[in-house]
Amino acid sequence: MTELTWLIPLLPLIGFLILGIGNKYLTKSVASTIACATILGSFLIVLSILFPLINGTLANTTISYFDWINTGSVHLSFSFLLDPLSITMMTIITGVGFLIHVYSAGYMSHDEGMTRYFAFLNLFVFSMLLLVMGSNYIVLFAGWEGVGFCSYMLIGFWYKNQNYNDAAKKAFIMNRIGDLGFLLGMLLIFQTFGSLDYATVFTTTSSIESNSSVIIAITLLLFVGAMGKSAQIPLYTWLPDAMAGPTPVSALIHAATMVTAGIYMVVRSNVLFSLAPFTLEFIQIIGLATALFAATIGLVQNDIKKVLAYSTVSQLGYMFFALGLGAYSTALFHVLTHAFFKALLFLCAGSVIHAMSGEQDIRNMGGLAKKLPITFYTFLIATLAISGIPPFAGFFSKDEILAHAFEHSPLLWGLGLAGALMTTFYMFRLLFLTFFGSFRGTEHQKNHLHESPLSMTIPLMVLAVLSTIGGFIGIPEVMGGGNWLKKFISPVLGGTAEVHTLSHETEWLLMGLSVGAVLLVIAIAYIIYVSKKTVPLTEGVETSVAQKTLYHKYYIDEIYDTIVVKPSYLLSNMLHQLVESKLIDGFVNGMGTAVNKTSAAIRFVQDGSISYYLFAMVVGIIMLLFFNTVI
Amino acid sequence: MNVLIIISILGIVAMVSEIFGLRKSIWYIVVATLTGAFIINLNDWDTARRYYDDMVFIDNYAIAFMGLLLFLAFVWFFLSKDQYESDQFNTSDHYAQIIFSLTGALVLVSYANLSMLFLGVEIMSIPLYILAGSRKKDLASNEAALKYFMMGAFATGFLLFGITLIYGVVGSFNLSQIQHHVSEVGNLPLMFYAGVVMIMIGLGFKVSAFPFHFWAPDVYEGAPVMISAFMATIVKAAAFGGFYRLFSVCYTDISGHWAGTLSIVIGTTILIGNTLAVYQVNMKRMLAYSGIAQAGYLLLTLLVLTNASANALIFYIASYAIATLCTFGGLYWVIKFRGNDALDSFKGLGKSNPILALAMTISMLSLAGIPPAVGFFAKFYLFTVLLEKGFMPLVLLSVLGSLISVYYYFKIIIKMYGTASDDTSTLYISIFNKAVLIIILVAILAIGIMPNFFLGIITQ
Repeated sequence: MTELTWLIPLLPLIGFLILGIGNKYLTKSVASTIACATILGSFLIVLSILFPLINGTLANTTISYFDWINTGSVHLSFSFLLDPLSITMMTIITGVGFLIHVYSAGYMSHDEGMTRYFAFLNLFVFSMLLLVMGSNYIVLFAGWEGVGFCSYMLIGFWYKNQNYNDAAKKAFIMNRIGDLGFLLGMLLIFQTFGSLDYATVFTTTSSIESNSSVIIAITLLLFVGAMGKSAQIPLYTWLPDAMAGPTPVSALIHAATMVTAGIYMVVRSNVLFSLAPFTLEFIQIIGLATALFAATIGLVQNDIKKVLAYSTVSQLGYMFFALGLGAYSTALFHVLTHAFFKALLFLCAGSVIHAMSGEQDIRNMGGLAKKLPITFYTFLIATLAISGIPPFAGFFSKDEILAHAFEHSPLLWGLGLAGALMTTFYMFRLLFLTFFGSFRGTEHQKNHLHESPLSMTIPLMVLAVLSTIGGFIGIPEVMGGGNWLKKFISPVLGGTAEVHTLSHETEWLLMGLSVGAVLLVIAIAYIIYVSKKTVPLTEGVETSVAQKTLYHKYYIDEIYDTIVVKPSYLLSNMLHQLVESKLIDGFVNGMGTAVNKTSAAIRFVQDGSISYYLFAMVVGIIMLLFFNTVI
Repeated sequence: MNVLIIISILGIVAMVSEIFGLRKSIWYIVVATLTGAFIINLNDWDTARRYYDDMVFIDNYAIAFMGLLLFLAFVWFFLSKDQYESDQFNTSDHYAQIIFSLTGALVLVSYANLSMLFLGVEIMSIPLYILAGSRKKDLASNEAALKYFMMGAFATGFLLFGITLIYGVVGSFNLSQIQHHVSEVGNLPLMFYAGVVMIMIGLGFKVSAFPFHFWAPDVYEGAPVMISAFMATIVKAAAFGGFYRLFSVCYTDISGHWAGTLSIVIGTTILIGNTLAVYQVNMKRMLAYSGIAQAGYLLLTLLVLTNASANALIFYIASYAIATLCTFGGLYWVIKFRGNDALDSFKGLGKSNPILALAMTISMLSLAGIPPAVGFFAKFYLFTVLLEKGFMPLVLLSVLGSLISVYYYFKIIIKMYGTASDDTSTLYISIFNKAVLIIILVAILAIGIMPNFFLGIITQ
């Protein structure tokens, strides 16, 4: 069953190589076919492993391919780990990845650089698979860096626009900060446990005391890596800017897969994190703060993709909140459902943008429901899912997080619910402003409005189905379900699935309360944006201070610019002019000149005369004999 | 043992091939025989045997070196094919001399008796004195031959004198008896130590260590290019094989007496070689100085004398020799098309013959020790072996030398890609010769990417 495992990441890599090398020679249809076919192939192989793993005919396996690094005390093999956690991620990556590839074939059909686009998209899937399949931190890190690179290339895909390039650079640099933390964490793991292999590291933790300083340092450093990749405070500002890339890229990389790598890594390292309650508490605070903070910003944004971007940041915060509560499988559950509905939201947004000829401002939309029916209904399903309306996917995962929060303290539950309500509000605001009311764009746009081609709408429909039923794999016990996902994942979490101990009455009450509140918020949003037909004000019109602060995202970008970017420029300028040009260049060039001069001077020793050579040799021989025998 | 006999017979066959009208097919016979000898040689692996009353000892060390020498000779015959097809030289005579010299080289890495050491050195050298002067009407070639011969004879005198002194003390030429004498009897007279140093001088000349390196630049420059290639690679590899074998078998216990002087020789060799290479304007001279510097690194292995250092020696010399052969192979074509061997004739090669330029580039990177070429791992492995025994100052000096070497190796690369040539004609190399270059390149890179595979074979 596992003989073909190596093909799973290899197929997308082959796709990348073919598309990369044949960039100039392949037609668009050939390129998109190759790209989609490789991902489909991987997806089918993943399924062939998923089912045996589920019904128990296949145990967790590590497959070693070759010794990768073998120096001194470092022995690392290039090997893959197949277990419930990795297979879940692989299914999301290849499954959602395939749908987004198909969608891209339609979405990017007018773009000149389509082959280049698919090449990097394939490379991304390869790297992402490497990230989740590796059985040690080094393979994970290779994938981790690979996805960062692909993200950079795809954010700056339309490289002729300088703003997009800047956004790509911003994403890359922010990620590098996180990566440094991750790398240091890895090195510390190696120093502490003498290995980077999951199996070895997680089984030699017995000597480590809970909350000892070394485990706190390791987990905090790993979490810094996760902060960068998964856009948590304070390293989240790159993600909204990353919307510069093509919309399917936002869906795949910046919503469904890459940004959840941080969550995957924490779940994978749960043994370490569970030993550091301090770190977990820290993650809890950061996660909750990010969830709330990003949600408030999302309330007033007018760019359809920006709203979704802040929503992603906020949802990622939610997942980290769950991790911080120690509810690893719940976080993974939310990763799964979020992958479905957020990918769907982005793809719908893409469909809207496609129809609006590139327009992204919701103030210029409105009334699109009739023109784009499929997009509208799928968007509606996704919105219901993210808002947590039963029985859509988001309800189950969100409810589980809130239940865990309540178990810790009602205050956390209250804050969590507040975040969920804000999410509901801005999502319905987005929905109402885009699809309801009357059209506010130009005449030209109005005439051009059309539903997207089948290659784009079919992925929408598939994802809509998944967003509807995806939550059923984790129906809680109280509703008569067995929470299947939790049981499936539990071997990875040391066999003990974390269960909250709330009574059934409390659980029903909490669910009722949250659903009731959500419905109330939807009603408020309906009154404001549909009944009263409020439209956000255009730029430049005076608004209240609070609203302005939110619209400008708390001025975080400006603050970073002042306290980090500008001083760095200043420092680097100073170093360049003083240290680099004067000191280092002077030293290096001086050395070069010295060697050159010496060479020029002593080369005349070699004058071509044999008697002189023999004389020099004799002098040398006498000296050697003298040194050796006399002294 | 069979290998020695086969190669000797092959030399005789090559010599008489002209008479029997086999001139056209001699190249094929040689290549096929070398391949066969290579396989037969590997067959003896792990079966150490002594031959002819302990004159020759074929152990794994000897087999590894013989395999390397046969492989290098094999590559040499491919690279030099064009030179002999263009009929500048008498092919069968040249081939016979080369194969006799190879026989000497094989003896030099498998001897178990000082008389065989001497014979090996001489059998290997004498054909080269002739070959160096084989451009009979070229003054530089004649000069090279004469210089090489005179200085070689001078050095041989020391080698012979050293052997005699050792014999005077021990009463035997046999290596194991000398070893026994050194470790069991002890209380060695001054005469013995003088003998050791004299042998060191004689062999130091063959590997072109300072201050016995003077011949190398002049001889490399004057000799025909492929003969220089043979001297710089196969002869040097064999000389190191012999040098290391003698010292590791016999003199390990008294290393305190000679290691100090050798360290000084090594340090100066590295500095002088690298510094002088910087200012050369002639490619062959530059390669000669680079070879001197590389000899310095290789001599470092004599300071450690463990299994690991033997492996480091073989790995390093293999990486050095293959890259140098490739460089000379490339140089041959440049001389053929551009008419001279100045560094400036490499100008614009990146445009006029990309494959040739690529071959030169990868070889230069390997010689300079830049990953992923094999040269990097050879240096890495060598320095690791030394650092484990605590030779920090010498390793630092070697690294400094490598830094200088980057300058002159990269000078070639910059010339090939950075500067345009007045002569913009495309250089045509036949597919066969291109394929040879590409296969060597792949080898350099493949071993560089998977060094553990290769090291695993030789450390067994």
